[in-house]
Amino acid sequence: MSQFARALAIGRKDVESYYAKPPLITWALLFPAVLMLAMYLKDPGGYLAVAPGVIAMTLLFGCTSMAAIVVTFEKRAGTLRRLLLTPVTPQTIILGKAGSAAAYGLATSLVLALGLGLLLGMPLANPLAFAAGLLLAAAAFSLLGILASVMVREVFEAMTLMNFFRFPTLFISGVFMPLESFPSWLLPLAMLSPLTHAVELLRLGVSGACHFASPWIPALVLAAYVLGGWWLAIRGFRRRAGQ
Amino acid sequence: MPAEANSPAVAVEGLHKSYGAVPALRGVSFTMPRGGVFAYLGPNGAGKTTTINILCGLLRPDSGRVTVCGLEVSQEPVKVKARIGVVPDESNLYPELSCRRNLDYLGELYGLSRGVRRARVGELLGLFSLADRAEMPFRALSRGLKRRLVLAAAMVHAPEVLFLDEPTIGLDVPSARALRQLIRRINQEGTTVFLTTHNLAEAEELAERVCILIQGRVVAMGSPGEIRGRVERGTYLRLGLSGEVTARELLSACPAVKEARPQNGLWRLEVEALHPALAQSLAFAEARRLLVNDVGVERPTLEEAFLAILQQGQPPEVGQR
Repeated sequence: MSQFARALAIGRKDVESYYAKPPLITWALLFPAVLMLAMYLKDPGGYLAVAPGVIAMTLLFGCTSMAAIVVTFEKRAGTLRRLLLTPVTPQTIILGKAGSAAAYGLATSLVLALGLGLLLGMPLANPLAFAAGLLLAAAAFSLLGILASVMVREVFEAMTLMNFFRFPTLFISGVFMPLESFPSWLLPLAMLSPLTHAVELLRLGVSGACHFASPWIPALVLAAYVLGGWWLAIRGFRRRAGQ
Repeated sequence: MPAEANSPAVAVEGLHKSYGAVPALRGVSFTMPRGGVFAYLGPNGAGKTTTINILCGLLRPDSGRVTVCGLEVSQEPVKVKARIGVVPDESNLYPELSCRRNLDYLGELYGLSRGVRRARVGELLGLFSLADRAEMPFRALSRGLKRRLVLAAAMVHAPEVLFLDEPTIGLDVPSARALRQLIRRINQEGTTVFLTTHNLAEAEELAERVCILIQGRVVAMGSPGEIRGRVERGTYLRLGLSGEVTARELLSACPAVKEARPQNGLWRLEVEALHPALAQSLAFAEARRLLVNDVGVERPTLEEAFLAILQQGQPPEVGQR
């Protein structure tokens, strides 16, 4: 059996253990759904301006909800040692754990997007850009979650670290207001955020418009986050697993 | 047949490992042949767990060479892990998964196909008397049953070498005994067993070879008999007689007895050689028309030998290859 098949097994087990739990699913879906409904009720024509941002936010929270604590949690429980005793490489473990986080994030954001499309008539002007945005962002966010998980020793530290990343990121990434209306001093910071690039690709997918001259710019930035996140997560995992 | 098929189960040569400035292993070397049970003993902090972690590919040594099933652990950790099973000192399966799902998941990670997994999991649940609890989550099992399932999990891929780190720790007497019987059975079916334990009676009962580690150094290695032979005290004969005799009478009638002491209504005789002492004692009883109502031999135990070696500190090595 290949290492890829083993990564799939790890991912399936994590979905079963962590993600397929009613409280996690309802929380991940209800919060953005209610937010979008509130926006729609306030301004039926204006909800589209924030829909890509809320979908990206759902993806960010979905991908990082468990990924950010899973390694530390399993290390505490002793099950990480069990996993390390099996014939799997660190890359396989990261792929399995990030894969399950990404799958969960994708599932919740897709359900939200489908709901918005079916119930509120959200358009899909560029499906390719939308799909690329979801996939690249899911990979980048879940690896960033795993990276947070391997950087700390305690579960609460991982949660704190992730919240310090997620919440400020929401306000600098064009989730609730377009980048065009950002003050000039905030734009460089926005460009550093992976969420900004996810929002812009999804915006291109939904409305056909994007802040960037080419869709390749946000796609390449997200790809760079994926590669950097992968490299750092493997490095951090080797260090944490050896302790 | 691959070359590694004839290699020892484990070969360790000049193993050194330090944690910062604290040395954990200082030039550990030993060879563990295939097929037997090898007990690796030592007091807390001797370096046993560090050795196991290195042998299992979880930790890199500072220097030294380690091969398991003929494979260099530092070069091919994944291949080594595919051929070994490990029972850690903690019961660390997935608490939320059922017994069956735990075994199935681990079987998947060891590369077993679905059909093979299904059959193997059923076989193990039966062998370890867990079939009626197959769907119970791991967290709901008693401590003894958890240890049993952890042992079953280590056997899911039929490993060539099984590492057991304190397998019966914290178990009640019947559970520990049942687990020891399972370990013996696994070994009889061809799996080589590497055992670390603080329970020296367990080591004595199961192991054919014993290695004693103190402060990161191997200080004794050999069969339990060889290790016991290092204790300087002699062999004792326990004798129960139906009438009154004195120590002087016993000593004069039995030249092979060095010392005779009454203890709990019996005689405890320190003997130079067992056979003549026993023959002389029986002849003495016959001559005095006394009935022998108890007889037994007390040899130094592995525990006594272990304690003696600990007290000596670092004696010269015996029986070491």
